[in-house]
Amino acid sequence: MVKKIFYYVRASILMVLMFLIPAHASAGVDGASFDIFSYRGPKMKDLYYVITRDMDAALLAMSTKKLDVLSDIYRPGDIERLAESDFAELSAASSFHGFFVTFNVRKFPWDQTVLRQAASQVVDASRRQWTRDLFSGYCEPLSSFLPHISPYYEPMTERLPPGAPSARRHLADAGWTWDRAGWLVAPDGRKVPPTRILCPPSSVAATSTEIAELVSEALRAIGVPIEAEPIDFQAMLARVDVHDFDACTNAWTMSRDPDVLYSFYHSSMDVEGGYNMSGIADPELDSVLHDLRYAPDEPSARALASRAQKILSELMPVIPVYSRYSVSAIRNDWDGVFTTDRSTSDNELTLISMTPKEGGERPIYWNISEEIRTLNPLVSSSAYDWTVLGTIYSSMLSVNPYTFEDLPWLAESWEVTPGERGSIFTFKLRPDLKWQDGRPLTVEDVAFTIEFIKDNNIPRFFDTVKDVESTETDERAGTVRITMANTSYWHLHNIGGMPVLPKHILRNVPDWRAWQPANRPHTALDGTKLTELIGTGPFTFRESRTGEYVRMTRNEHYMLSGIGEARAK
Amino acid sequence: MITLLKRLLGSAAVLVVVLVLNFFLFRIMPGDPLTGIVDPRFSPEAKQQLAAQWGLDRPISEQFVVYIREMLSFRFGLSMMTGVPVWDELKNRVPNTVALLLPALVLSSALGLWLGVKAALRRGSIIERVVLLSGAISFSFPSFFVQLLLLMCFAYLWPIFPLRGTTSIPPPAGIAYLFDYIWHMALPVFSLVILGFGGFALYIRNMMVKAMGEDYVLMARARGLPYSRVVWNHAFRGILPPVLTILLLSLPGVVSGAVITETVFSLNGVGRFLLEATNSHDYPAAGAAFFLLALLTVACNLGADIMYVLVDPRVRRESSRG
Repeated sequence: MVKKIFYYVRASILMVLMFLIPAHASAGVDGASFDIFSYRGPKMKDLYYVITRDMDAALLAMSTKKLDVLSDIYRPGDIERLAESDFAELSAASSFHGFFVTFNVRKFPWDQTVLRQAASQVVDASRRQWTRDLFSGYCEPLSSFLPHISPYYEPMTERLPPGAPSARRHLADAGWTWDRAGWLVAPDGRKVPPTRILCPPSSVAATSTEIAELVSEALRAIGVPIEAEPIDFQAMLARVDVHDFDACTNAWTMSRDPDVLYSFYHSSMDVEGGYNMSGIADPELDSVLHDLRYAPDEPSARALASRAQKILSELMPVIPVYSRYSVSAIRNDWDGVFTTDRSTSDNELTLISMTPKEGGERPIYWNISEEIRTLNPLVSSSAYDWTVLGTIYSSMLSVNPYTFEDLPWLAESWEVTPGERGSIFTFKLRPDLKWQDGRPLTVEDVAFTIEFIKDNNIPRFFDTVKDVESTETDERAGTVRITMANTSYWHLHNIGGMPVLPKHILRNVPDWRAWQPANRPHTALDGTKLTELIGTGPFTFRESRTGEYVRMTRNEHYMLSGIGEARAK
Repeated sequence: MITLLKRLLGSAAVLVVVLVLNFFLFRIMPGDPLTGIVDPRFSPEAKQQLAAQWGLDRPISEQFVVYIREMLSFRFGLSMMTGVPVWDELKNRVPNTVALLLPALVLSSALGLWLGVKAALRRGSIIERVVLLSGAISFSFPSFFVQLLLLMCFAYLWPIFPLRGTTSIPPPAGIAYLFDYIWHMALPVFSLVILGFGGFALYIRNMMVKAMGEDYVLMARARGLPYSRVVWNHAFRGILPPVLTILLLSLPGVVSGAVITETVFSLNGVGRFLLEATNSHDYPAAGAAFFLLALLTVACNLGADIMYVLVDPRVRRESSRG
């Protein structure tokens, strides 16, 4: 017992220390005073994305200076080893990850709102304890439908009192009874049948199985005959797809925009290929989620997101359980590490600011824990691929790492105006932007990217551009005007966050599905041999060895480089 | 000749069955190839576009025809995971898998064979104890544990081997690259030899002990033949057919089982690709990989049959009669 308490205390201290690091690293700066254009870089010439799949091997490599940056650290043992090491500095931040228990509300007994509310009451009482027991403090309990880090997070303050006795009272008040064996009977006399929580097997996701068992045990305490049923993950998804389940566990990584709630809880998404797994269909919720999806501005989006979360906390189609911290480590012989309480050290500003403490020039070795599947930006949806692609391509807007608000990036300003049918976005591009091959980036590139994606129905960006009605460019003014078919505040984030691709490359792509830009040679204006993987990001792609590494070199045309600085002056 | 022809026809029939099963089993298996690609930000319409992109919206008969055409022409199509032709993906990986498995198989079988025979001839000696112990170790310890231990000892505490991959970063040029490659493959190969030779030696030892007690070996010794000739030309030759069968038929299993070694040492090989293709329901990649594995199995089977004929005169006589 004493050992266990000591373990929790140690874990808690480590987490507190990790969260203090950002405050120390970026002292004196906050969201309002943050100026992304005060940063200059990249300082280092060479960057290697090194593929090391085994975390133990990655930790050994980091201790021997073979790796500088390590992301996606989630095993408590690894976090402790790094926290106690003398070679690495850890940083942690809340993330957009969320783990839920989803009920199938299409059939009895989980079609009963009162029962789902009672289930959430028993989970509310134990969530903190479970998270601490299973993750040693390296995850945070999640009781909301959007993670705490979301700018639209709504604390669930008007919840029913937690605990099994309160849940039993709540059920009794609604007319539920218990049979002699102690199992629940609905007000209409139907006995609650034995049900199952589908979860992946412990060999695949040990904590998911344990949570399913803990939730089952807690629900049995209020008279629900329920068991965890570990099955193959793909088999679980297949059963959920055809609604052949009572409840299941699932986890998502969401984004800063709350319109993802539409995908999860709007009745129109309860279709094949849709993400409304619970099958919740509530007219009021549908209406609010629809309005949220097409919210005209930020204040109305905020109000609608809040309302949607309140309705969800009454309907409880899913029970939130925990959210993972994002943890990364960087060798402590580097200066220039940038972190905030919402962003771990493995970010672009760190990448461009890193300099060795001992001075001089040194390559950066940045770990990727899975193989790069494809470097085709039109098809890739893997986060590992986008670690590399994100260093190459940029979008018109960026995100404030302190507040998650929009920041100008390739676009120095933007304007949203109401049109006849929908919003009109006018982006004014920064002057003198250049592609990595030295050619100028113009508004034509922005318009062509959108049109190319729309004309080819490219699935990866289909939802981003499907509502674009037309694009108009004004080369002299440096503006691109994008007219949408409808109004939605999120169009700005979708269009503004989309990578801009070079027209002079894209127009020669024979088959976008099979396009492998990293394998197709291209010559820069100065005669340098490059590939068609050309963007405006801080590093230029040079070479990739499948399963081994990706080599990049500093982009001298990057807008935050010294050249950019001179131009800005 | 007729026997060989019969075997060839039988092998072709097996391949046809594998081809058909490969197509239907992957589609019957629970799961969806698009699951690994889409996320909640994909609308159902976007998912439909994706299905259309990969031809998954076409009738199953049409998909089957395309599949058979791709397999028989060895084109295999594009991998759904990477968008790269499956053939290119395999071409990238096969050399690493061969460089890992071939030396490991040759060294572990040669060492296992030599130790197994020695152990059988010197009962109760230290060699026999080594064989028994190494056999027990190879059966008792999970391979990832032994490999991580080796990595810890020889790449970290005593860093004479690299921690990961098949090449240094950046890789050296010219002939130095070859040495660098060998240096990187040495520890993974060594780990497989350590894990593999014990079981093989134990197997050889047991068979040799039995063979040494056979009447024909006793007869050879009674004839006054030199001891080494009795051992190698009589006893060992008697156990050769099952040894060859075991060796050849273990090859396909070793290829698919290389996934753990490839993960621990971050090697870019076929085993890992096969696992990922299967898990993510990458129909073209998994179909191609399983088809090639089936080809390898059938070829090894055929090879074992031919070897039988070559090393065992009894089989040769039966074949010529039949």
